[in-house]
Amino acid sequence: MKRAIILVVNGTEHSVEVQPSDLLVDVLRDRLRLTGTKKGCGTGECGACTVLLDGKPVNSCLLLAIRCEGRQITTIEGLGTPDSLHVLQKAFIDNGAVQCGFCAPGMLLSAKALLDENPAPSEMDIRQALAGNICRCTGYVKIVKAVSSAARTMSGAEGGGR
Amino acid sequence: MNGSAIGVSRPRHDAVLQVTGRALYGDDYERPGMLYAKALRSRHPHARILKVDTSRALKLAGVKAVITAEDVPKNRYGFTHLDQPVLADDKVRYMGDVVAVVAATSWDAATEALDQIEVDYLPLPAVFDPVEAMKPDAPKVHGDSNIVSHIKIRSGDVTEGWRISSEIVEDVMRTQVVEHCHIEPHAALAELTDDGTYVIWSTVQRPFLIASDLSRILQYPMNKIRVITPAIGGGFGGKNEITIEPYVCLLAAKTKRPVKMVLSREEEFCGTTVRHPYIVKYRSGVTKDGKIVARQVEIISDSGAYVSWGESTLSKASIHAAGPYFIPHVRIDGYLVYTNNSIGGAMRGFGVPQVGFAYECHMDNIAAVIGMDPLEFRYKNLLTDNSSLPTGQVLEFVTLRETVRKAVELVGWKKEVEWE
Repeated sequence: MKRAIILVVNGTEHSVEVQPSDLLVDVLRDRLRLTGTKKGCGTGECGACTVLLDGKPVNSCLLLAIRCEGRQITTIEGLGTPDSLHVLQKAFIDNGAVQCGFCAPGMLLSAKALLDENPAPSEMDIRQALAGNICRCTGYVKIVKAVSSAARTMSGAEGGGR
Repeated sequence: MNGSAIGVSRPRHDAVLQVTGRALYGDDYERPGMLYAKALRSRHPHARILKVDTSRALKLAGVKAVITAEDVPKNRYGFTHLDQPVLADDKVRYMGDVVAVVAATSWDAATEALDQIEVDYLPLPAVFDPVEAMKPDAPKVHGDSNIVSHIKIRSGDVTEGWRISSEIVEDVMRTQVVEHCHIEPHAALAELTDDGTYVIWSTVQRPFLIASDLSRILQYPMNKIRVITPAIGGGFGGKNEITIEPYVCLLAAKTKRPVKMVLSREEEFCGTTVRHPYIVKYRSGVTKDGKIVARQVEIISDSGAYVSWGESTLSKASIHAAGPYFIPHVRIDGYLVYTNNSIGGAMRGFGVPQVGFAYECHMDNIAAVIGMDPLEFRYKNLLTDNSSLPTGQVLEFVTLRETVRKAVELVGWKKEVEWE
């Protein structure tokens, strides 16, 4: 029952054979070896597996890979690299918003989706946008601060983004 | 490197890897030819195991091995008490006990094989309330008593304390089970190399402790056991001890292939340690001017099915049970009790949050009974330099009073406080 599909991940086309029941998170991690996407609960509660699907944050543990054919998938590996960090990634580091780091990929992608839509979010906007991402270490204060600081940098910097 | 690190905010050295998704956590590792392991857990909180039949599971496509208690060289472990089986043998003592573990060529094949393992149980009466479990006629989880340990701390003479008290206040407080909920589940991957070394990538917080535990369980020299801890997605005490590492080692030896295991979120709740629920009874005697002169504390800690870190957490809780107050006459009794509940283990604060919650609620209640301001009442009784604790330890460099005054000022809790 396997079917060959094309997944567009971080702008690159990947041809993969999937079962209709294969979840996007497992295909990303186990087949494409994009292990930056984390699996914390498998039931859509923790948000560690968040990726962007056509720019919107989704729980990749609740999404069938076969339904993502032809759509734009962005994972943490597509946000920035160690040599060329996204403003959000730099803000997370500078503000101490990362402790164990397991929730960071999902947090960052939810934050990216927010800033793409709303470049000047209030604290409440940020908290609402990140409500689906659980962090067990930080207590969220520094994460909210990091997103807010990234928003200011992006709106102030020429050309925004990176 | 120059200057002091104090007062300077420095970024984590591994933060760049974390925010770019490059940091490797337990489940991010893989080895060529790797197999996937899944555990079959008990269906009963308390039952005798009559028979385990793995023959049907072994015939399934993709299944490479199934291990049961017979495969474990030394089937008991624990930090202070060797009471916990790696794989249940005579009995299951809680719903999280593992009876068998399957290694297969995919997660799906391993999961499907679990249904094909037949276990005959003889259900036994179970006990879930630690107070019930302390009674002589309660069902026994191990041996002939459910009371595993009794920690006693005595200081002064409480009878004299009650005599000189003008008020005696009693309270009973209960705290609940808490699961650590680190976002990353437990994961372990083991490989037995050609030179006979076990290499284990594990999400454990204490690599050397589990290397020594594995050495005893596997009856294998510790210098041939190498534990690698990758980036860990939170622990909070929940990854303090051995869990799934013996399974992947035993299966790697049996199949001659690397074996990985990752717990589901459901297993994190039902099959790993939790914060001990406590029942704490306080009785304190105070004089008219608000000095605490006597305190009696009884702590009942629900250990669950095994001891794990229960005795050490109870010991720390007992040492702290009188609170940060100088009290001349103290009597503390801590009981660790087996039940058929989830296993209590290490968790942030190690027993102290439970008693801290209880004695501060108790302090508020005493203040209300004697009609004194709760802050003033606490301040009057705080430990100072040269105070002795119920354990006999004499304190030095105590800054509690200064800390409380500063906190009151910063919080703006009250305009006027008359410091003694």
